[in-house]
Amino acid sequence: MHIFKKLPQFDFMKWKGVALTISWGIIVICFLLARPWSSNSRVKVGMQFTGGIDMMVRFTIPMEADQIRKALQHGGINDAALVNYSSPAGTEDYSIKVKAKQGQDSKDSTIQINKILDVLKSLDPQSKTDPRHDLNTESSLALSEKWYAANLLGLSGDEQSKRATYDGWAGKITEARDIKGSISNYNELPSTLPAPLREMIQKEFRLGHMTVRKNESFSPSISGEWTSKTLSAVFWASVAILLYVMFRFTMSFAVGGIIALLHDILMALGLFVLFGYEFSVPVVASFLILMGYSMADTIVVFDRIRENSHRPEYRRVPITKLINDSINQTLSRTILTSMSVLFVAFCLLVFGGPALRDLSFPIFVGVITGTYSSIYIASPVVVYWDRFFGGKDKLKQHA
Amino acid sequence: MSKRSLIRLVSTLLICAACGYFFIPLSKVRLGLDLRGGVHFELEVQGHEALEADLRDTRDRITERIQDKAITGISVKSDAASVHVEGITPENQPAVTKILSNFGGYAIAEQGSTRILTQKELFKKSLKDDANKRAQQIIENRINQFGVAEPEITPSGAEGNRIIVELPGVGEAERERIKGLLSTPGRLEVRFLSKKQPNLFPVKTEAEALAMLGAQLPEGTELFPELEEESTVVTNQMKAAIRAAKPGEKKADNVRQWVLLESKVYYEGSAITDASRGQDQFNTNTVNFTLNREGADANAKLTEIASNEGRQFAFLLDRKVISVLRSDQKIIGSGVEIKGNFTQQQADDLALKLKSGSLRASMKFLEEQSMGPSLGADSIKHGITAAVIGFGTIIIFMVLWYKWSGLNAIVALTVNLIVMLGLLGSFQATITLPGIAGFALTLGIAVDANILIFERIREELDNGRSVAGAIQMGFDKVFWTIVDSHVTQLFAALLLFIFGTGPVKGFAVSLTVGVVASLFTSIYVSRFIYDWILERHPGTKTLSV
Repeated sequence: MHIFKKLPQFDFMKWKGVALTISWGIIVICFLLARPWSSNSRVKVGMQFTGGIDMMVRFTIPMEADQIRKALQHGGINDAALVNYSSPAGTEDYSIKVKAKQGQDSKDSTIQINKILDVLKSLDPQSKTDPRHDLNTESSLALSEKWYAANLLGLSGDEQSKRATYDGWAGKITEARDIKGSISNYNELPSTLPAPLREMIQKEFRLGHMTVRKNESFSPSISGEWTSKTLSAVFWASVAILLYVMFRFTMSFAVGGIIALLHDILMALGLFVLFGYEFSVPVVASFLILMGYSMADTIVVFDRIRENSHRPEYRRVPITKLINDSINQTLSRTILTSMSVLFVAFCLLVFGGPALRDLSFPIFVGVITGTYSSIYIASPVVVYWDRFFGGKDKLKQHA
Repeated sequence: MSKRSLIRLVSTLLICAACGYFFIPLSKVRLGLDLRGGVHFELEVQGHEALEADLRDTRDRITERIQDKAITGISVKSDAASVHVEGITPENQPAVTKILSNFGGYAIAEQGSTRILTQKELFKKSLKDDANKRAQQIIENRINQFGVAEPEITPSGAEGNRIIVELPGVGEAERERIKGLLSTPGRLEVRFLSKKQPNLFPVKTEAEALAMLGAQLPEGTELFPELEEESTVVTNQMKAAIRAAKPGEKKADNVRQWVLLESKVYYEGSAITDASRGQDQFNTNTVNFTLNREGADANAKLTEIASNEGRQFAFLLDRKVISVLRSDQKIIGSGVEIKGNFTQQQADDLALKLKSGSLRASMKFLEEQSMGPSLGADSIKHGITAAVIGFGTIIIFMVLWYKWSGLNAIVALTVNLIVMLGLLGSFQATITLPGIAGFALTLGIAVDANILIFERIREELDNGRSVAGAIQMGFDKVFWTIVDSHVTQLFAALLLFIFGTGPVKGFAVSLTVGVVASLFTSIYVSRFIYDWILERHPGTKTLSV
């Protein structure tokens, strides 16, 4: 199978002005819409960069976002951002984010976390009517300690061996709890659990309807470091790529490649923000991957331009034809290679769950723009650069 | 089979086998905290506290020596940055100077009758380094005694003052308690209550207590708070009680009273060799510990004075009074029991802290994460589904598009997968959720290399080359393209590795490894398969590509 029956003869370079205008236009529009400079900008930044609390909780009872919001406000947490996630039937997943205030220290955030947790626990109607402890939030050590203190199994032997036995059973219970996230029925306790322990649990523990799936907090001081760290990673990656391309090709190619890279990053950034995704450290990582990929794609075209420039038949033709022909010759492989990565990025986007969705979106966008930019951003820049800074002979000399 | 093909086949199989060794069985592959659940802390050693502690120690030591030499009229004070030795006269100056000269880490400035001692920069650095090293060691001790499986405690940060603690399998329920264990220094001190009466002030703030003393601390004394409860260790029962009292609010410190204590420390936690929780005859929790010889001597002296003069002494933990005692007789021997208002868990944790040694400075939590295992299991399910669907689609696509050559690509991809897993295993890298994404993406990128080669071969065939010539040209011409494109991706991946931590590092590792594996399989393995087929069908006129 072939994409093109005959070698395609598109005149790409004829439209380079239009293409450059349109794609940079889109980028400008994206940024005007995103308003990163204003206070009500659409840019969403994760807690890792701003400092704050990021929690994910699951309720196994119906729970409205408004209900949680009101309870949090009542408890004195006014600035929480609440998002409902898709979750299995019968459960409600929420993410709760609270930005840290300036100068907040770790003690404050501990108090704040406990406050939020208390509010969330009180949302479980059972917590008001049933004074028993919640098995779903009980620590396994505390559980084993209770059993040991009462020596429910009537074990004999030294302290250590008794403790080990109770620790083992407590561990089994937390294991059973962890697999499902929470225990919703006493029947779900491990079937091998000795009767006295089971009875004790049924008597002294209720089964709560709220579990914490994730609980993260970042102090403002480290978040500033994260920002500078990730930005410098992006910066040094660009520098390294620029230097390598300069070393392997010529200045004009390096400039073209980097401008195409910038275009891809800005385009992906703009769309990422407009689609309402949130920046996190893994997302920045995926932007770095995008850089690598976009450059790799450009290099395939550049390599062919360089190869063709050595051939006698291109000695006397204008540079636009040289580039046009090179792009056409590599067009089918450019499309195919992009498609294969696009497949994977698409699968991650659709099937990868919420965590991978944020991360695969920039790559998904980046693969598309990366392919396009190799043709319409990188190559025209090579043409323009050569027009201003030297003839095509110079290009050939160095290439 | 020719000798060359045989060598290539054997070396490919050997590499696969070697890689297989590192990841079979699959349990050898380590999963990151985001996939298996657990808690992650990033702590910063508060180095300035170590400096302040040394200032206080120095002050006490100077005071002690001045008393030993029976020099009078001198007062020694310390603030946040210096020690002041006041009241120097021409008569006592030589003796004082001699004492001060023993403190080599300090720079001494003269100001009339006062000598101001400040820490030299080099000394500050060594104090901080020492605090960092100690913190790492003690945290390891405490975590190990707490009984967590496979803990990971790694130093980090440019100044080495950060510690990353990762505890797999530890849940949200235990997070608070471990936090308490890690954050407080656990420094025990024993001092006498001041002779001056009253020495107990049932007020909330230090200012009020000071006002009751007439705004002036008696010579050689200090005020310390005694709390209702140790605020850093809060048990579930206590939480419930606090919640019942004031829903949604937890008081950080609830001071019961302020206690006026002498500055002299009789012995410290460093004299303790072992500690455990015990119970007295009333079934209240106690902490029992064993002292080394020096400590036992100090304790004997302390209890002797206490019983003779009818004085009280106090145990302090991290500069907070935990217990005030009196003694009826001189106690000789190394065993000591502290009675206090402990819960069982508090007593356990205190014993653990005393046993593990004290930190020179407290810890600040920069980052704190707890991930539930069920969330990780969901992530694994999603990640693997996405990766398998992506990989499957690529395989189908390659076979449909390139027919037999597509099969070649699949063999190469499979070897790629094995090499990737093997490299990951041999680095003992942890697989994180972004790592799974990186894995899937590199497979997509690896297939790119094959596509480049196949397309080039097609082009050469179209240009009328023979099968053998087209393959030769295809690989040769594309070689540098592949190297160039892989190297740029390697740059991005390596920078991620340098700047990233945790999940991102996992991502970077799988990408780096994937790029390297892809270079090997696309250039070496695919080429070998073609050569081998050409060998078996010499002079073939068609190539299924």
